[in-house]
Amino acid sequence: MVSTDVEFYHGNKGPLFRIIRTPENMVARLLFIAPLFEQANQTRHHITRSAINAYGQGIQSIIFDHFGTGDSHGELIDANLGLWQQDILCQLRELKAKSPHAIYLSLPLSAVLLLTDEMLALTDGIMLLQPDFNGKRFVQQLKRLALAAGLTGGNRPTNTGAEAEQVVEIAGYVMKAKLLDELAGQHINKLAGFNIDCYWFEWQEKLELLSPSRLKQQTLANKNNTLFIHQIDDVKFWLATELQVAQSFLAQELSLFSTLTASEAEGR
Amino acid sequence: MTSAQAFEQTTEQSREQTIAQLIKLLIAIIPSYDESFWNVDTELFGAIAEFDSMALVTLIGEIEESFDIDFDDDDISAENFFSVASLADLVLEQS
Repeated sequence: MVSTDVEFYHGNKGPLFRIIRTPENMVARLLFIAPLFEQANQTRHHITRSAINAYGQGIQSIIFDHFGTGDSHGELIDANLGLWQQDILCQLRELKAKSPHAIYLSLPLSAVLLLTDEMLALTDGIMLLQPDFNGKRFVQQLKRLALAAGLTGGNRPTNTGAEAEQVVEIAGYVMKAKLLDELAGQHINKLAGFNIDCYWFEWQEKLELLSPSRLKQQTLANKNNTLFIHQIDDVKFWLATELQVAQSFLAQELSLFSTLTASEAEGR
Repeated sequence: MTSAQAFEQTTEQSREQTIAQLIKLLIAIIPSYDESFWNVDTELFGAIAEFDSMALVTLIGEIEESFDIDFDDDDISAENFFSVASLADLVLEQS
């Protein structure tokens, strides 16, 4: 029986929905940062599977929804990048103050756009799941979703309000245009200055060459970090369903959890 | 073989490779169809229920990654995403 606590965490602007699974003999903590917009829904099932696997290896797992998203309080229109980052930082600081156990971050897809230097300084390692550090491209894809929705009979993007407080609606997500600008300004450079363990899961077929843009991102991330690349040749976890999960990813991740907990246990 | 024939053969090979790669991407994004369903004439936009806006944008992203090309917003049209063939034409234009 998994020991699960469901709670509302005191976020900076409102309560954040959290699910915490705490093993009896905890050796490390893992904070899952949800990716943005539709990616959060696409990855929810896989993140739950990962959290349960972590729990099984003695790692406390914490899943939460950003302010204005999922089951957390607030509206997306009242959210901004700085607020989401502060909410993560507050949780990290509290984890750090609570116990000396190692803290890891799990960052799938666009979740890496929320990463800051301060977060990296508070963690012992990060797990990157097909990360896309190119904020400009992420925002471009989001805007394309609105264009595509127009083609397929959905609502076209709408802009309202004065420029400074302009509101946009893309595929049902209503937000300030400023949030998209903030996300578009994010890039990988921050990772290069830190010397922490970085576990990068890349979905790539065995004989397939990495695309130039992915290769560039990995090279940048490996400047000063200890980068461990895990190649996954399986269903893409962001396209997975309950019936079709990326088993080999879960197996590799489980093996990583096991290695981390073994080294944590040795270190104490 | 004349140089014109050689050029034509290379172009045809390139088109076949592009189509094969596109079908591979489509199978990954829309796995509910058997592999035999996909061919150069398979219609996409408006013909496959699963080919919704999310699938379309995912496909665009995957194509850009795979072929190392960049689409313009103007390229996102019903005509370009009508079938595997029209999509292959679009990719080859950008390559």
